[in-house]
Amino acid sequence: MPTVDIDPDELRELTGSEEKGDEELKDDLFGLGLEFEGRTEEGAFELEFAPDRLDRLSVEGVARSLRYQYGDARGIHVPSPNSAEWTIEVDDSVPDERPYVTGAVIRDVDLDDEALESLIQLQEKLHATMGRKRAKGAIGIHDLTMLKGTAATEGNPTIQYVGLEPDEDRFVPLDSDAEMTPADVLEDHQTGQTYADLVSEYERYPAIYDDIGLFSFPPVINGRRTEVSTDSRDLFVEMTGTDQWTIDKMLNIVCYALSARGATIEEVNVEYPDHEVVRPDFATKTKTVAHDRIETILGIGLDPEEVIDLAERSGLEADREENDAGDLVYEVTIPPYRVDVLHPLDVIDDLGRAYGFNNLEPRYPDVGTVGGRHERSRLERAAREQLVGLGFEDLLNFHMISEAENYDRLDISPGDDAYGAGEPATIKEPYSEDFTMLRTWVMPSLLMVLERNTHRAYPQNLAEIGFAANVDESENTGVAEGRRVGAVLAHHEAGYEDAKARLQALTRNFGVDLETPPTDHPTFISGRTAAVVIDGEEVGVIGEVHPKVLVEHDLEVPVSAFEFDLEALH
Amino acid sequence: MQLPSQQVAVLEAASADEATSVDALAAATDLPPETVTGAVFELEDEGLVAVSERVDETVTLTDEGVEYAGDALPEVRLYEAALEAGADEESTQMGQVIGSSGLEGPQVDIALSNYARKGYGTIDSGEITADPDADPAADAEADALAALADAGETPVDAVDIDSDTVDQLERRGLVDRHESTVREVTLTERAVTELMAGIETSETVGQVTPELLTSGEWDDVEFADYNVEADAERFDGGKVHILRQTAERVKDTLVGMGFQEMDGPHVDADFWINDCLFMPQDHPARTHWDRFALEQPTHIDDLPADLVDRVERAHKEGVGPDGEGYHSPWDEDFARALALRGHTTSLSTRYLSGEEVGDLEPPQRYFSVEKVYRNDTLDPTHLLEFFQIEGWVMAEDLSVRDLMGTFEEFYSQFGIEDIQFKPHYNPYTEPSFELFGTHPTTGELVEIGNSGIFREEMLEPLGVECDVMAWGLALERLLMLMYGFEDIRDIHGTLCDLELLRETEVTY
Repeated sequence: MPTVDIDPDELRELTGSEEKGDEELKDDLFGLGLEFEGRTEEGAFELEFAPDRLDRLSVEGVARSLRYQYGDARGIHVPSPNSAEWTIEVDDSVPDERPYVTGAVIRDVDLDDEALESLIQLQEKLHATMGRKRAKGAIGIHDLTMLKGTAATEGNPTIQYVGLEPDEDRFVPLDSDAEMTPADVLEDHQTGQTYADLVSEYERYPAIYDDIGLFSFPPVINGRRTEVSTDSRDLFVEMTGTDQWTIDKMLNIVCYALSARGATIEEVNVEYPDHEVVRPDFATKTKTVAHDRIETILGIGLDPEEVIDLAERSGLEADREENDAGDLVYEVTIPPYRVDVLHPLDVIDDLGRAYGFNNLEPRYPDVGTVGGRHERSRLERAAREQLVGLGFEDLLNFHMISEAENYDRLDISPGDDAYGAGEPATIKEPYSEDFTMLRTWVMPSLLMVLERNTHRAYPQNLAEIGFAANVDESENTGVAEGRRVGAVLAHHEAGYEDAKARLQALTRNFGVDLETPPTDHPTFISGRTAAVVIDGEEVGVIGEVHPKVLVEHDLEVPVSAFEFDLEALH
Repeated sequence: MQLPSQQVAVLEAASADEATSVDALAAATDLPPETVTGAVFELEDEGLVAVSERVDETVTLTDEGVEYAGDALPEVRLYEAALEAGADEESTQMGQVIGSSGLEGPQVDIALSNYARKGYGTIDSGEITADPDADPAADAEADALAALADAGETPVDAVDIDSDTVDQLERRGLVDRHESTVREVTLTERAVTELMAGIETSETVGQVTPELLTSGEWDDVEFADYNVEADAERFDGGKVHILRQTAERVKDTLVGMGFQEMDGPHVDADFWINDCLFMPQDHPARTHWDRFALEQPTHIDDLPADLVDRVERAHKEGVGPDGEGYHSPWDEDFARALALRGHTTSLSTRYLSGEEVGDLEPPQRYFSVEKVYRNDTLDPTHLLEFFQIEGWVMAEDLSVRDLMGTFEEFYSQFGIEDIQFKPHYNPYTEPSFELFGTHPTTGELVEIGNSGIFREEMLEPLGVECDVMAWGLALERLLMLMYGFEDIRDIHGTLCDLELLRETEVTY
């Protein structure tokens, strides 16, 4: 789970609750769903967050939520931005893959070290979550005083979002002293290398210009000229991305955080070739939530006043209304920094949290149904009980295995005409070379367990009824999956007859007809191997394991074994 | 009076006047000494004999002692060689004497170290002299060896050897001393009386045989007693794997709570695993490396076309008059991609959609206890594949109280009463809760599952028009809570230790 670092002193200051101890704060934060994981070296709280409330990725946002929880704030607060002075002009040359941009101007911000750190963290966390590692949305924050806008008309400075040939222009990126082209940045700059995959396929690279020249190469890196420091007082925030809604919401979260620091927000005109928008968009939205639905989800009765109170304590506003059918509903207003409210149910969850889910009394649902097991699982249990009765230790092994274990060490190859040698369903990015495919039979797992336990007492009679799979184009998923009954007998006198005796007992108990015509299988000794034929169908193999395979597994006792499809007992 | 034949024989061989040893009784009765000893104790318990014990010390020759008894002691052989070389008259080169004595290896040292001690002569600066007055025939040690060789295992007292010599021989490793307990038996007065009255023999039998049973003879015999307290040889019977036992118990519990079991594919399309759960396609969990995508095969052949359309619409536009979708791309090709299921909620979506058992009318309860796969880091509490307890209840108007009550009921069946609920976020449930339990040995709060009420954006495309509450719990975590295991890898997989599986107690 992702974490966010929050300085408890900052939090106390921003919530105006200087008297709260650390423990009390931790409890309050847990109530918001922010779990304390530990402290950073600087003493900040490391808090685990669920990725729905992205407005809580900074100390300012967490403080806002706490103020609602404490009752110090109620309802909705929307900052009033000043009218736009600046314009972002979107040029036709902007790459089709990343057509959207948004922005805001921030005035009179007081950036001390903590505030700057918090802003940088918020930027990083938004990149990691909503921004999908900058692919969907990337944030650039600039010192406004370093920008010079082309005055198309007096008092209306403009910057341009354009597309650029990879080597068309040069700028000095952050953390560098040299002038570089965007292509150089991807090649030679550390940050450029990290994010190169995002744009390297583009024909033209995204770029932002002011009157002086190229100052930002989104989503990769900003120029050094406009770098923000604690001396910065006015900021220009721009965001580019693949989805307008996403970057607009990211912008709202950043604006709310800076506004909480006392800054003034100023709108920016965004001029696309065919239309124009004004950002940030602080419009609220509403959801119609039925009173009855609130009561059924929470399982309690509520007065309308209580519902309205819970909404206000959640940072929402609820207006009581009647719908066309005459039912009590609420028009609930959602503030512009919320990105997680898709449906009225999300509002009900907020109301439940404000009420305190832990204050609800659990009850067993009064719903009558009849239970039962799946036939496959009943069969599996019955067969397992028989195997245990025959003296086998029941095992439970992994379904993922390596090609070497599954085939090579048992002297078979994928596609051989031998039981267990089906083509493998393989995994694209395995955890390690030990787990590259799904096992095609359980025998390899049983031999691995024998190999691991040569220091343990014999006899080792082991069995597993387990999953195995192989590629089969006739299946909808392309994979035939099934349960196999596998068994090994390992002791000084283990022989074919021991295995056969147990297989006979097992099949007899299920009333199926067993035949064992001789066959050849590389895993077993020739002349001591038979096909398992149940009710006329070949479904498995039985025999004495070949010394080559035994030695390969460091075994010094004979092993007899059988394996067949569980379904044959059906 | 009736007694087993061995006891009768012992009574008859023993005397009231004179103590008789067990060995003597064994010789007289022709019974093995251990049988006689057993009979003697039985008789003592009956008050028919008195038993006295004494400890005898016996001495036997070691292999080396036997050798010297035959070949003469090395120092004597050295003395004889020295005499032959004329060392009784003038000192002689030692090497020459040793060469002619035929002594070899460690015997040379033995000879040299005892030679002077026993007055056979002197050894100085590689020269040897022999005392002409020494008499090997009067060597007490040699005599004692000869006497012991004749006597075999002998009570010390029975051979005329002084104890200093025995000590000396023991130090030289030529004899072993043993202590043994000798039991001697005397008849009591009661035994004499009973013998005069006549004691009948009852037969004792070791093994019940078919002959014994069919002949009716079993009624006349007495069965020999066993040492019933002794440990028997270890036997490892078969046993159902402990995790399977736990899974079975979970299944039984859920069946008892009215749940039906689901079954379905491990390799499945992302559509059933994620899209049907209203998981946006650019959700980190779907692009993240913790998903095991298949390299071969790559895509499912068929998906229900209507359902695909409805699911795509829900992702893009949301559900209901106020609904909103995700601002994320949606691509059917990605939905068809195959992966190992990361949760068994893929079974739930298949059942809820009507794909598996037809359309379902409320109320319904369904569950599965099956494997899921996650590309997580292996550690004591995380495996790449583990069992998920998946369950859901479909009914009109379900509440979070019903959800909490179901969990409390379920876990109380396993003796776990301290379940805690933490409000949580899942893309497919709202409200959502994480569940925590307390580890019995470490006392830590362990996350044991995730739950919630399925979102309408998930249910509406699947054609479900009532509420469904659902959960995924980790079976391994439940096992850890029940048993206090700290490393799940000891139990599950090919690294398992058979000894641990054999020693683990059963659950019920």
